[in-house]
Amino acid sequence: MVKTDNPFPYFVGIKSLKEVATTENRVVVMNILGNESRKVTPVSHSYSGGNVVAGVQYGRPGELQTPAGDIPVYSRLAEVVERHSFDTGVIYLPPQAVFYAVSELCHYKSTGQSDLKKIIIVTEKISVKDQRMIRAICQTNEIDVFGANSLGIADSWNHVRIGGALGGDNPEETLLKGSVAIHSNSGNFGNTIAEYLKTEGIGTTTIVSSGKDIIIQFAAAEFLNAVQNDDRTKLAVLYVEPGGFYEKQALDWIEEGKFEFDKPIVACVTGRWKANLSRAVGHAGALADSNDDAESKEKWFDDYFGVPVFDPTHPDRVGKRGVRVVSIQHIPAAAKALLTLYGNKNDFEPTGNLGLKLWMGKDFGWKLPPNLKLELTKAIPPYDKQIEDAQRQLGATFLRQRMRNASGASRINPETQVAELHGIPVIDLIDNPLESNMLFAITKMKPEEKKLELVNICLNYLSKSETFAFETMRNALNNGATPNEALLSAVGTLGDHPRFRLSRKYAKALIDIFVELGIKEYDHKVDFQEAQETARKFIPSGNKKPEDFENYLIEKMLSKYGEGNIIYYAARYAQENLLENPALFLITSIFVSISLPALVLKKISRETAENMFTYLAIEAQMVTWMGISNFDNEVLSAIRERKDFKYLEGSFTQTAYHAIFGEAPEGNRLKEFQALLGLTLTNGPGTISAKGAKESVSARNNISTAYAGFLSNTGLSHGGNGYEAIQFLLKSFDGVEITEPESTTVVNVEEISKKVAIRYKNYKEEAKRSGATSYDRIPCVNHPVFKGKQVNIDPREDFIYKRFKEEKIGNIFWEFYHNLVQSLYNEGVSKNVYCVNIDAVIAVISLKLMWKAYSENRIGDEDMQRIGFFIFLIGRMTGVTAEIIDHRNRGLDMDTRTPQSELKFVV
Amino acid sequence: MKYGAPILSLSGFPIPEILDADATMDEIEDLIHKRGKCVVKPVFYGGVGKKGKAGLVKIVGTVGDALKAKQSLYFAEHFFHNERIRSNGVTFEEFIPSSYEIYFNFSVSTVSRRVNFTMTHHGGVDIEELDKSMIFEGSFDAITGLKSYHIIDALTQLNAPPEIISPLTQYLPNLWNLYNDFGFTTLEINPIRMENVNGRLIPIACDFKAQFDQDNPQYKRLNIPSEVFHTDLTDFEAEINQLRTYQGQSDVVVINPEGTITPFMFGGGANSAATEVLSTKTTISSDFGGNPPYEKMYDIASITYKYWLKNTNVLLVIGGKANNTDIYVTFKGIFDALRDYSAANGKPEIYVIAGRGGPNLIKGFSYAANILDNLEIPYKFFGYDSSMLEVIQYAVDVDNWMLQNRNDRGKRQIG
Repeated sequence: MVKTDNPFPYFVGIKSLKEVATTENRVVVMNILGNESRKVTPVSHSYSGGNVVAGVQYGRPGELQTPAGDIPVYSRLAEVVERHSFDTGVIYLPPQAVFYAVSELCHYKSTGQSDLKKIIIVTEKISVKDQRMIRAICQTNEIDVFGANSLGIADSWNHVRIGGALGGDNPEETLLKGSVAIHSNSGNFGNTIAEYLKTEGIGTTTIVSSGKDIIIQFAAAEFLNAVQNDDRTKLAVLYVEPGGFYEKQALDWIEEGKFEFDKPIVACVTGRWKANLSRAVGHAGALADSNDDAESKEKWFDDYFGVPVFDPTHPDRVGKRGVRVVSIQHIPAAAKALLTLYGNKNDFEPTGNLGLKLWMGKDFGWKLPPNLKLELTKAIPPYDKQIEDAQRQLGATFLRQRMRNASGASRINPETQVAELHGIPVIDLIDNPLESNMLFAITKMKPEEKKLELVNICLNYLSKSETFAFETMRNALNNGATPNEALLSAVGTLGDHPRFRLSRKYAKALIDIFVELGIKEYDHKVDFQEAQETARKFIPSGNKKPEDFENYLIEKMLSKYGEGNIIYYAARYAQENLLENPALFLITSIFVSISLPALVLKKISRETAENMFTYLAIEAQMVTWMGISNFDNEVLSAIRERKDFKYLEGSFTQTAYHAIFGEAPEGNRLKEFQALLGLTLTNGPGTISAKGAKESVSARNNISTAYAGFLSNTGLSHGGNGYEAIQFLLKSFDGVEITEPESTTVVNVEEISKKVAIRYKNYKEEAKRSGATSYDRIPCVNHPVFKGKQVNIDPREDFIYKRFKEEKIGNIFWEFYHNLVQSLYNEGVSKNVYCVNIDAVIAVISLKLMWKAYSENRIGDEDMQRIGFFIFLIGRMTGVTAEIIDHRNRGLDMDTRTPQSELKFVV
Repeated sequence: MKYGAPILSLSGFPIPEILDADATMDEIEDLIHKRGKCVVKPVFYGGVGKKGKAGLVKIVGTVGDALKAKQSLYFAEHFFHNERIRSNGVTFEEFIPSSYEIYFNFSVSTVSRRVNFTMTHHGGVDIEELDKSMIFEGSFDAITGLKSYHIIDALTQLNAPPEIISPLTQYLPNLWNLYNDFGFTTLEINPIRMENVNGRLIPIACDFKAQFDQDNPQYKRLNIPSEVFHTDLTDFEAEINQLRTYQGQSDVVVINPEGTITPFMFGGGANSAATEVLSTKTTISSDFGGNPPYEKMYDIASITYKYWLKNTNVLLVIGGKANNTDIYVTFKGIFDALRDYSAANGKPEIYVIAGRGGPNLIKGFSYAANILDNLEIPYKFFGYDSSMLEVIQYAVDVDNWMLQNRNDRGKRQIG
């Protein structure tokens, strides 16, 4: 029986839930083109079969496109009133404008120009004053109001939603036709409860998001009355937060018989903790005063129901009037129990349960106890497919941003002052050979030891370049180019070389195969024949079989790797299929294999993995170009000729040593050389060498040109301090005969340092006497950070100094420096004992490495400068590779430009 | 009355003479001399507290007693909703002799859904202690406001002494404009004492309490010093509050600064339910729903990490199935901020747990997973088909496990 009389002491137009959101409603939306409405209204409009007749956007008429047809938009409500009829208003305006919009809507009703019946206010943060004014004028004009701060109203039977976004961007998914009506103080929970109910096979009739401002306009009493009069609704769910007497009023009125109500209720009250708050958190009205806190509300319901709170282990213990649940997760079970009690069945098949279902997760080696371990569960459609698609995307994606003064690759640690690459201090990278650091710069992971053997073969193989590159360099040098300029000219010939392009194709194909085969971990066995079928779909074919080098490499690959590694499959594939360039394919496969863990862990982007060959090929060639003065070196020649493959097996660090020094490393020389390269790897993204590369990237050049940018931004001033230090050391040791600088006892460094300190003291005093405002400083001592103590230490230098001591690697020049800082103090030149700084490490090792050739007069001052500079370039080249990759991943076009506001004109 | 007096004077309502805590001895003596005694009261910010009931109002007759009262009340403490409230100074107020004490209050009623006024001529006490028959509670139309006849009707119904009816009818309706035009949600005067001036009773407001609507900027016109409102805001809350101008909620409250779970809660419902389950484990309670833009979410997350991440075991992102909040945008804000925090401060040793539903869910999950993969921070993401409460409980369990697995030096051994 539908009651038509209003039992309440105030106006309520809606007598049954059937009237809340109907197919007859014609809606006007205020601020229809605002941020929220622009996204939500088209979905509501389409879901409801096109119920929005018009929208208002003050001063901006037009239309809002929706899948169900365009909605006309007017700049004034008056125009809507003239051209359309409507009975429902939806307000998305900012809080200050809401009351005026309500007033205007009411005005047209009071003048008989509209048949407005209800208003839904989505806006939050409306003042309490406006809330009471809205209440007053809508009561006067006999209009039902939902909100403010409502997510709207929806009717699953009528397939209509009005106002906010109940059901999100896919209302069909949540609003399933059923027998339960929900009144929720939380819009989100209105949605969530509907989702939860689905697990027990229960759908909804109507959902009302009441909002939880201080004044709730369509509150529990009106709702329950409308539930009673709706024959579709078998049960009501109330989600209640502290603050306000709405529920008490409703329950009291039922008890008093003010309105008839005999359907069961599931009530959930949360927010006990809010009792201690003195201001609102979350919903504005969810702040309890006296006697309307969560505990009081729980009692109102418990008294009304006459049964204790719902116990999920005994779902049958529910009262005829309903039951209170402690949390929304118990609503489905309680609702089912009550519906069963009343002889009602499920609305549809249950969709599952609310137990923990892990959609995505990783533990990264954390050993969780068994009770906390969870297996991944396939998500519900359509999310399962979306997750699958997302996981097929191997590799990281980075946020693009202005990277002019930023880097995701390097930084100077503010506490230690040590430069770091990918979070690892350079002083920790000195132990790695060059080839290892080259890979680390790209993949952010230290490569497996056993892969380095293959990597060395690849790098040595790739170090061979077209002969015209050397010609170009020679021409440049003949024209007076500096070493970096000569190198730049050679790099400039590379462009996006056909080999780079083909390798990219191979890398892309190999990664695609992994994705296609659903391989999630990098060690994964697949059936080769099966995999080969897939591989043929992706890998570009050619007409070449493996020849000498390829067969040699295949043998190496197969001897080191079995099934489960991409290297194995690639080698087998090259054996059995014709390819355009089998060598290039095999090398690419080795690089892809190295990049795969980083891709799976999303450390690097796919683009980086696909270009790994390009980076390494450019770097390998640059290293051998630096050996232009040692072109006829036996090892370098053999590598170039590619006849005796054993030469390819040498470490690439050793190749670099040959290129720089033209001879084989003796004793600890290779280790010292390696340390030098590690130390110079990076000095943070602010260095001009890195900036040159980054600027080239920001102009969207090829990778090779980014290296040209790096080279063009280096020059004789680089390693300047190191070179000056070498000059200083040579001057200090002038006339001292040293046959082997490894030995620290061959000469008395204490005496030398004292002499140098006194000489410097005299120089300084003389300079001061002559009124000079500046004078030469001793290179490589003192540091702006590591100063001020009685005895100062640069921890970076100290770390390496001690490391070398432990390994019994001596260096007479280094010892001299340590004596010098003490002598400077002893002679009164310095007020405390300066530190020997990190630059000294580079200088003393460089000088030691060059000493033999220098003392034998095989190289002169100019050569020493060149060699020092090349050492710096090799080291920095590795670090710059990381910056190039980082900028390509994260940067924006032209993001290194200087803003106009920072520019100035000088005269 | 320190702040109440100037506010009430805007409506022309009579007030006693008031001196603040730094009044000189001569000024206090003059005040006492006026009536033979004066009232010394502590000043509580935030409109909280029941001074009279707590025995924190002293009536003194000498300057010495006044100064003693000042000393004892200056930092007086009492409890309000289990919270310790501390005084911020005192006022010396003129003593108004009167035979009557009136209680008067405006507030919004959730029963009538209108503004209610409550009054009794048995005031000066906590009115909850009075029999209901001694109190009048009525409402009126917000459009027309409180009129004299409402007061006459109320006092008549209460059988109030005839001599107080006329003066109150004259003065009380003026309070409506004050209440309505300056963003009040509650305005309370208790007591109003009736001073006999040449045979005619004049109502004098002797204590004043108010609450303002922070969504109504009209209260700013009263120029009340900000510390009156902010006394109970922590630095964290104040910093987050500055983001209120953006779209979306940014309500936070510190629950336990020593907490080990830091949650981002989305939606009033999630806020209410999650805070309850997390209890004292949570550093903060929050509601960041309402589809906040990226910039806001990033700022919120950055501030949250700055304050709480150091001691956090579990970072929890929890909400139901969002209707309108873009999960991708919010997750991007939260996890970009985590990435940047880690870049600046080193990787935090935390476990990330998220339970969420809504638009762009998987895009958001994937974005977050990407960053966490890069940082090698462990995580578990649950969809909305897992009970939100179970996800929260799981976070609690992980936190307990992490707490148990710290070694002596406080470093965790979990790997």
